Amino acid sequence: MSQARNSTARSLAAHAVLILYTAIALFPVFVVVVNSFKNRRAIFADPLAVPTADTFDLIGYRTVLAQGDFFLYFQNSLIVTVASLFFVLLFGAMAAFALSEYRFRGNTLTGLYLALGIMIPIRLGTVAILQMMVASGLVNTLTALVLVYTAQGLPLAVFILSEFMRGVSDDLKNAGRIDGLSEYTIFFRLVLPLVRPAMATVAVFTMIPIWNDLWFPLILAPSEATKTITLGSQVFIGQFVTNWNAVLAALSLAILPVLVLYLIFSRQLIRGITAGAVK
Amino acid sequence: MGALTLSQVTKSFGATQVIRGVDLNVENGEFCVFVGPSGCGKSTLLRMIAGLEDVTSGDVTIHGARVNDLAPARREIAMVFQSYALYPHLTVRDNMGLALKQAGTPRVQIEQATEKAAEMLDLSHLLERRPAELSGGQRQRVAIGRAIVRRPKLFLFDEPLSNLDAALRVQTRIEIARLHRELGATMIYVTHDQVEAMTLADKIVVLRGGVVEQVGRPMDLYNDPDNTFVAGFIGSPQMNFLKAGKLGLRSDTLGIRPEHLEPGSGQISGRVSHVEKLGGETLVYVATEDHGLLTVRQFGEQDYAVDEEVGLSFDPNRAFHFDAEGKRLR
Amino acid sequence: MAQRKAFRWHIMVFLAPAVLVYTAIMIVPLFGTLNLSLFNTTEEGRVFVGLKNFATLFGDPRWSERFWNALGNNAWFFLVHMLVQNPVGVALAALLSSPRLRGAAFYRTAIFIPTILSFVIVGFVWKLILSPIWGIAPGMLDAVGLKGLFAPWLGREGSALTTLALISVWQFVGIPMMLIYAALLSIPDEVIEAAEMDGVTGWSQFWKIKLPLILPSIGIISILTFVGNFNAFDLIYVTQGALAGPNFSTDILGTFLYRTFFGFQLQIGDPHMGATIATAMFGIILLGVSLYLFTVHRRLRRYQF
Repeated sequence: MSQARNSTARSLAAHAVLILYTAIALFPVFVVVVNSFKNRRAIFADPLAVPTADTFDLIGYRTVLAQGDFFLYFQNSLIVTVASLFFVLLFGAMAAFALSEYRFRGNTLTGLYLALGIMIPIRLGTVAILQMMVASGLVNTLTALVLVYTAQGLPLAVFILSEFMRGVSDDLKNAGRIDGLSEYTIFFRLVLPLVRPAMATVAVFTMIPIWNDLWFPLILAPSEATKTITLGSQVFIGQFVTNWNAVLAALSLAILPVLVLYLIFSRQLIRGITAGAVK
Repeated sequence: MGALTLSQVTKSFGATQVIRGVDLNVENGEFCVFVGPSGCGKSTLLRMIAGLEDVTSGDVTIHGARVNDLAPARREIAMVFQSYALYPHLTVRDNMGLALKQAGTPRVQIEQATEKAAEMLDLSHLLERRPAELSGGQRQRVAIGRAIVRRPKLFLFDEPLSNLDAALRVQTRIEIARLHRELGATMIYVTHDQVEAMTLADKIVVLRGGVVEQVGRPMDLYNDPDNTFVAGFIGSPQMNFLKAGKLGLRSDTLGIRPEHLEPGSGQISGRVSHVEKLGGETLVYVATEDHGLLTVRQFGEQDYAVDEEVGLSFDPNRAFHFDAEGKRLR
Repeated sequence: MAQRKAFRWHIMVFLAPAVLVYTAIMIVPLFGTLNLSLFNTTEEGRVFVGLKNFATLFGDPRWSERFWNALGNNAWFFLVHMLVQNPVGVALAALLSSPRLRGAAFYRTAIFIPTILSFVIVGFVWKLILSPIWGIAPGMLDAVGLKGLFAPWLGREGSALTTLALISVWQFVGIPMMLIYAALLSIPDEVIEAAEMDGVTGWSQFWKIKLPLILPSIGIISILTFVGNFNAFDLIYVTQGALAGPNFSTDILGTFLYRTFFGFQLQIGDPHMGATIATAMFGIILLGVSLYLFTVHRRLRRYQF
């Protein structure tokens, strides 16, 4: 029937467009990773070819690992991201619970106060933040970054989590109260497990900008011992601009961990984003 | 001293008063049902008894002790919720035992209480399952079991049957009635369904707008309602309200139950507008000029044609008289 | 929960950590910055100068020229996002949400990948690809017979900013795509089935039924894009450096703030003028957000399903 043929044609067109866009999205990543495994001559001779036995070369990676302290940078990034994430999720969920569960004077006002931070970027306070960190001796420590990222992540976390927590059955919490659970037990044992999907969403949304941030590491913690991977690769690439092998290898090394993490969590991430609407 | 006493209990949310001075006494072992249309305050009243809402003024007394400022867990009550409210991460066994565990009861005792309750409700084979693996009816039985395990002074039920389908609702209703007989416990039960109220209750409390309209045994409410609201709410199909003046009577409104209107020749005349045959009974809707649409209930299968002219008569001894405010004239 | 006569400490305990950290690290510094913009350093040390810094920023040609240039560039940067990123995102989401589409999960995952990469990676990768030395871009244009079109886009004053904006679009198109996709999924099946029954199908179904229902999401995406764009810094810093070359043609408010506050090359850092610029950015963002909330947002009705 024409209807059926029509829909086949339409779905083919949809696939064509989507494949085209997927190619656009992945092409740059592909080019960089592929060429990082080639020798200098092959990189220029045929940038789009995959490495063969002839052209395969790990010189770039050797340079990178000899020059930059990438393991330290990576470790710094990991510490900062995980610690900030922990505090954002814990404090954010606690505040969201208080706002969504209890009637008290100033509830709406507190909610609006916290939500303000979603719209106003924390970067605008950089000048004063730096002065504060200098005064308290926290410059060039990972603590400074963790503090800033926790504050930065809280508004959105509170906002999303309180929306979800309003959806947790009142009957369940009341059953807990009748069974003698304290408000803290109700929060940690009943409510938190139920909003786990929302926590995953918040985690991803909080994690990506922290891991990728250049501004605060550059300003608050640029010392060699506290460089994050993002700042580290920026500085390294800046120094080795003309060493194409090294630059491509450094880029690949910076892409891969994020990519692997993303592929592991992508299902969770997408479910989290869509659950917000479907729930 | 009764199991539960409410004296001049009120509740306000900001400026709006939702419970306006309720007095009630529930005897030991009594099955008391709060019934009324949605928004009448029946659930709020139950939650105040449970301690989930605070009391704005007045006193709540359970077995002689004032509990206004006592946390829910310390009131020795148990509650069954409309949405079951089972802890999704705990097995049926742990769901039922949590309150006792929280109170520090020895494990052996918890085990015994749980097994016994499970046996009563035919849940023994489900004890290791989690709520997600149960059907709706099973979940509600677990919720009831969770209440039984605690051996509370007072059972509270918040519309426990509304999430079940019709057949299961009847079955669970009978189950709850049986449990009440076996346990001999005091139960407070909230519903908007007057059939549940009539079939379960020793005592019905009819609420409207935060005020108690009437308290009494089911048949007392049916046969002797205090006002038009109670008369209309209890009994299905609803009581017919006729304009007494048009019939040459001195009261304002005349209430006649559908089964007490007799077709044939009578002083009320109208036309049949619709007929519902239910097998055991036939409901005839008669449009009248003076009194609007009247419902007539006939036993067995009866034949009427739509648009057929029909006269209606009634037995004056079975009619209720109300004044202009809806108050019963006795 | 019932209000006890006693103070409910647990509410305090739940709220305190978030409110304290947020207030100390975000709100106080924000006001500190606003405050700092009212002072200046002279021979006598720090003195209160009122709104003089703003007068300098807007009036003194040395400053105002840079400021308006950055603001104008920023506006163009935002406009490109609105015109390219959001329509592309909506289109992709609409395609992805078509029923019985195979491989939707794969496309979704792949198209979102650029979004998770850092600006450093994105900036350098595109710099390499567009570089005339490496020749990937000219080589590819050559393959389709359009070699003549190639130019060192990032190096030219006329095209650098637009190129950067498009790179940013490439990176972030995943966000509108995901949010719109979620919004499309949340339209109840019954509504779509009713439309099918009424003969509203295909494209007209999208325009007449789905688009009106996802307008609130598009509104939210627009305001997020606005805030993000007027706060952007990293991509330009990574690709063009703090001087935002060539000849400041890619200078936006973020790079302008950075240069002013920390100084660059011969210019020394000036925290007071930096704070003044930050305050101006704060004002612009606040104005944009309020404008949106009080005009557009009110008209976008949220439909209850």
